[in-house]
Amino acid sequence: MLETVVQAVINGLLIGGIYALVSIGVTLIFGVVKIVNFAQGEFVMIGMYISFFLATQFGIDPLLSLVVSMPTLFVLGVLIQHFLIRRVLGPNDMPQIFLTFALSLLLLNLALLLFSANYRTVHTSYSDEAIHLGGLYIPVAKLIAFVVAMALSGLLWLFLHTTDLGRAMRAASQNRDVATLMGINPNRVFAVAFGAALALAGAAGSLLMPFYSAYPFVGQVFVLMAFVAVVLGTLGNVVGALVASLMMGVAESLGIQFVGADSGLIVVFAMLLLTLAFKPSGLGGRRAR
Amino acid sequence: MQTSTKWKWLALAILAAVMLLLPQVVKSSFAIDIFIRILLFSFIGVAWNLMGGYAKQLSLGHAAYFGLGAYTSTLMQIDFGISPWIGMVAGGIVAALASLPIGWLCFRLRGPYFTIATIATAQALMLIFLKFRDFAWGAEGTTIPNLGSSPLMMQFEGKAAYYYVVLGLLTLGLLITWRIERSWIGYYLVAIGEDEEAAEAVGVNAPRIKRDIYMISAFLTAMAGTFYTQYIYFIDPATAFSFSISIEAALVSIVGGIGTLWGPVIGTVLLETASALLQSWLGSNTGGIQLTVYSLILMAVILWRPTGLMGMLNEVWQRRAHPKPARA
Repeated sequence: MLETVVQAVINGLLIGGIYALVSIGVTLIFGVVKIVNFAQGEFVMIGMYISFFLATQFGIDPLLSLVVSMPTLFVLGVLIQHFLIRRVLGPNDMPQIFLTFALSLLLLNLALLLFSANYRTVHTSYSDEAIHLGGLYIPVAKLIAFVVAMALSGLLWLFLHTTDLGRAMRAASQNRDVATLMGINPNRVFAVAFGAALALAGAAGSLLMPFYSAYPFVGQVFVLMAFVAVVLGTLGNVVGALVASLMMGVAESLGIQFVGADSGLIVVFAMLLLTLAFKPSGLGGRRAR
Repeated sequence: MQTSTKWKWLALAILAAVMLLLPQVVKSSFAIDIFIRILLFSFIGVAWNLMGGYAKQLSLGHAAYFGLGAYTSTLMQIDFGISPWIGMVAGGIVAALASLPIGWLCFRLRGPYFTIATIATAQALMLIFLKFRDFAWGAEGTTIPNLGSSPLMMQFEGKAAYYYVVLGLLTLGLLITWRIERSWIGYYLVAIGEDEEAAEAVGVNAPRIKRDIYMISAFLTAMAGTFYTQYIYFIDPATAFSFSISIEAALVSIVGGIGTLWGPVIGTVLLETASALLQSWLGSNTGGIQLTVYSLILMAVILWRPTGLMGMLNEVWQRRAHPKPARA
């Protein structure tokens, strides 16, 4: 019994690491640019397809393709911020919500047109390997993904707290007007934040590829989890998103183990709805009462 | 003002006559099917627009009510033989009641938080219906028993009768919107949409108005769910609670112009026509094309015409009615 619980917790933590990369991206964009990026999941999908094609066309290991997927998505993020997001920044929520939402629809359906709805998998030498610890079972591919995800999250935290640009980002997220007065160029800061968030999504995609299938709708799974994590962990708070993501991975995994194979998401939604019901003010809703 | 009102009524009368005669003239069942889709999604858009357009509460979870309406009437029909006409009203009541706790949860959140919460509630309902296999057929869903021609059970031979049913629904939705738009509630809704704190500060009871309008919106959306299920003779959670229902409800309103009476109708006509044309050009093998075009239209509207097509028409109208005085 105890072993089953520990195993479920380990599985949950491992997948929670990937959720963290996605939700940290969402929370970073929200914190700095004040936009909820509904398309974040589709950037995970793009990261997966990049790794898939590098692996099948050139035989590059999905983990190595991180060095391609992250910069590609960073540039994509800067371009999207510059050509699309910048035009809808303002007090009105409607254009912001529906622009990123339309972007998500567009990317998803373009993927459907270009790559069909088929599931694409990459089989690596370590895809089926696992470490056995007592009665516990730790899949290597997921462990690597988790470790890299935590390292990237740590690097982002260091970047935000030790570099000038990172400090500028945090300043812009706290008070855009004052930050501008202090000589911070918000457009540049926003572009870097958007790029960094998308790079994290791209990393999530590459890290997933050795043990997860790429298909056009794959991003929807992750973005849903990311939204829940981001709301639980207070929007805009990087550490909060990280902790909430790990918690949700564990909750989902325990749900699958003890309620039923199809009940992981129900547990996650129950968590969200209970939080909304009893502690809406703690969610970081800007003007939530 | 007098003459412009007269022209409006004349235009409306002509439109009504055309709509009533359409299935008598056009006999192609393919064409009538498109008309039915246009009327149905106009109706769903009109229902969404009450909350999303006037009060700017951008829900992406209206599939919750669509699905509840569809399931209520279908369960009543299959388990107890109750006519979907009654089931449609019962579904509306169930949805309106469900909108109370859902609204209680979601309305405490603003902007994107509200939108995320509405998505989550609709998804959670879908998961619940997937889970209850014994109660509501689970993921496989069920077909509606085909009785041939049975108007009392909302089943008709040929598509023309379905056309008139959904035309009636849309008319109902437009009348309700028109009444609300013209009453003090309409002004309050717009005030809430502009700035909720300011509206409350001047004495608007925002929570109560949002609750009431949300109930009406849920009721109408549920009626659409019943109609759709009866029309396609099939129900399953993935269709009834489909995220694309929520998307389309919002999409047609935004493209047409949110917070306007005719916006959702105009948006639907554009989007459904575009999708029908694409389908006939590209054949049925169009996975993704339709929504690709939808999303491009949506992005174009948001970036260049945030007021939607109605906003554009209004500008043209204003310019003609009140030409700019020549520069002095």
